[in-house]
Amino acid sequence: MSEQAQAALTVTGLSVAYGNVIAVHDATFAVAEGDACAITGPNGNGKSSILMGVTGMVRRRGTVQIFGVTARNGDVRWAARHGLTLVPERRQLYPDLTAHDNIILGCYTWTRSISKARRSGSFGRAIDLFPELKPHLKQTAGTLSGGQQQMVAIARGLAANPKILAVDEPCLGLAEALAKRVYDALAQIHEEGTTLIVVEEAPRRALTLCNRRVEVRNGMAGAA
Amino acid sequence: MSKLGNLIIAGIITGSIYAMFAVCVSVWYRVSNILNLAVGDFAMVGALGVDNLYRVKGLPLPVAIITTLVVVAVFAYLYDLVVLRIAQDRRHMEGIVVTFFFTFALSFFIDGVAKMLFGTDVHAAPTLWNGNSLTLGSLHFERAGILVLACAVIIGSAFWVYIRYTLGGKALEASGENVVGARIVGIDTRRYRLWIFIGTAVIAAIFGIVESPITGFTYLSGATISLTGFIAAAYGGFRKPGRALLAGLFIGVLEALLGGYVSAEYGDTVLYAILAAMVLAWPRGLGFESAVSG
Repeated sequence: MSEQAQAALTVTGLSVAYGNVIAVHDATFAVAEGDACAITGPNGNGKSSILMGVTGMVRRRGTVQIFGVTARNGDVRWAARHGLTLVPERRQLYPDLTAHDNIILGCYTWTRSISKARRSGSFGRAIDLFPELKPHLKQTAGTLSGGQQQMVAIARGLAANPKILAVDEPCLGLAEALAKRVYDALAQIHEEGTTLIVVEEAPRRALTLCNRRVEVRNGMAGAA
Repeated sequence: MSKLGNLIIAGIITGSIYAMFAVCVSVWYRVSNILNLAVGDFAMVGALGVDNLYRVKGLPLPVAIITTLVVVAVFAYLYDLVVLRIAQDRRHMEGIVVTFFFTFALSFFIDGVAKMLFGTDVHAAPTLWNGNSLTLGSLHFERAGILVLACAVIIGSAFWVYIRYTLGGKALEASGENVVGARIVGIDTRRYRLWIFIGTAVIAAIFGIVESPITGFTYLSGATISLTGFIAAAYGGFRKPGRALLAGLFIGVLEALLGGYVSAEYGDTVLYAILAAMVLAWPRGLGFESAVSG
C-alpha cells in the first residue's frame, strides 16, 4: 500500500453489539483505494459483524469514513450511494425473482429508472462478469445452484457500481472449482479498479488475491 | 343461452370485485408478509362513509368521496405508523401473531366504529353512473357493474405494469422476499410497506364505493368480502397477484352459475364445497404449498 494512496475506508474504534453480546470490540483499520484487503479469522469472531457495522446493516459505535466522508450510522443506502456495496454472507437473493431481476436491483442504489439501469455500464459489466450465467438469467434465483447464486449475488453488488466491494464469505459451501471461479471474478473486479474487502475464514485462499490482511480474534481486529 | 350469458356477465362483475380484493391481499402479503384481514372493512368504510356524508350530512358527492378516501388513507397511515411499526420493526414480532392478529383486531375495531357511526342498516353509496342497464341482444349490462369492471381492469393493469416493468415494482417484490437482501441495495422496506398499505386501503375503499349500489353494505359486510378475497388470494399462494386475480374471477363466475342453475339458496354452500375439494385435489398446483411453507 503506497503512502500516497487515498484511504477508501477508514474504520476507527468500531464496536458492534447484538443486545448484550459484543461481536466486535474497538476495531480500527484502514483500506487504501485500489487495495484488496482480506479480513480473516476463525468463525464466530466477528468478521461478518465488522462488515455489517461498516456498511450500516446494523448500528455501530465508532466512526466509519468512506473516501474521507463520515458515514451515517445504520444507513445502508448512504454507504451504497457513496460507493460501498456489500455482497452478504448467504447471498440474500430474492428467490422468486429471476436472476436478471436480482442483478438489476443492484442498480436501485443509484437509480429508480429501469431503462436507465438496463442501459448503464455497471449493469452491463455485472451481466458480462459471468458469461456462464447468461443462459440462466430468466430462471428464478431460488432454483439456481449454490455457485450460480453466488455469481448472481456478486453481479448484483457490481450493478450497484461500487468503488469498494465488500464480499462476505464468497465461497461458503462451494466446490473447489467454483470457489476458484468466484475468486477469478473477484480478481477481475479488482483489476478493473474496484477496491475489494473479502471476509474469509481461510486466509490461504484470500491471500492469493489480497495484498493486505486484517486478522480478527475475539472481536478485536488488527493488521496481520 | 341468454340466461347463461347474463349469469356469466354477473359472475365476471362479482368476480372482478373478488379479484381486486385478492390482488390487494396478495400484493400486501408479498410486501410485508402480513395477511391483511381488514381489506374488506376499508371497502365498507368507503361505501358507508360516502353514503353518510352525502345522504345524511348533505355534502356534494365529489367532496364526500374525496373526504372518505382521505380519511381512509390517513387512518391506514396512522395504523402502519403506530401498530405495525411497533410490532414488526421495534419488537420484531413474527409468525402468526403479526401475520394475522393485528389486522384481525383492526377489522373488529373498524366494524365497531362503523356500527357507531353508520348504524346497522343496509346502505349504499349513490350510483355514480345513472340510467337503465345497457342491453346487447339479450344480454344485460348493469351500469354499476361496468364501472366496477372498468375500475378492476384499470387498477389491475396498473399494478401489473408497475410490478412487471418498473424498478420500483421489482424493489417492492424484493422487499417482501428478503428484507435483508432488499436493504443491501438500499430499498426502504418500511416505506414500501406503508405505501402499499395506504394504496390497498384506498383501492378497497374505491371498490366499496363503486360496488355498493349493486349489493348494499352493512357495517359487517367487510368480513365477507375479505373472506372471499382471501380464498382467491390463497389460490395464488398469497404471493401471486396474477393468479389471485384469475381465481377471483373464477370464483365469481362459479358462484353466479351455481346460484342460477343449482340453487339460489344453497349456491354458496356448494361453492365453498367445490373450492375446498379443489384445494384437496391439487394443493401444489394451486399454490397452497408455498403459502404454507412460506
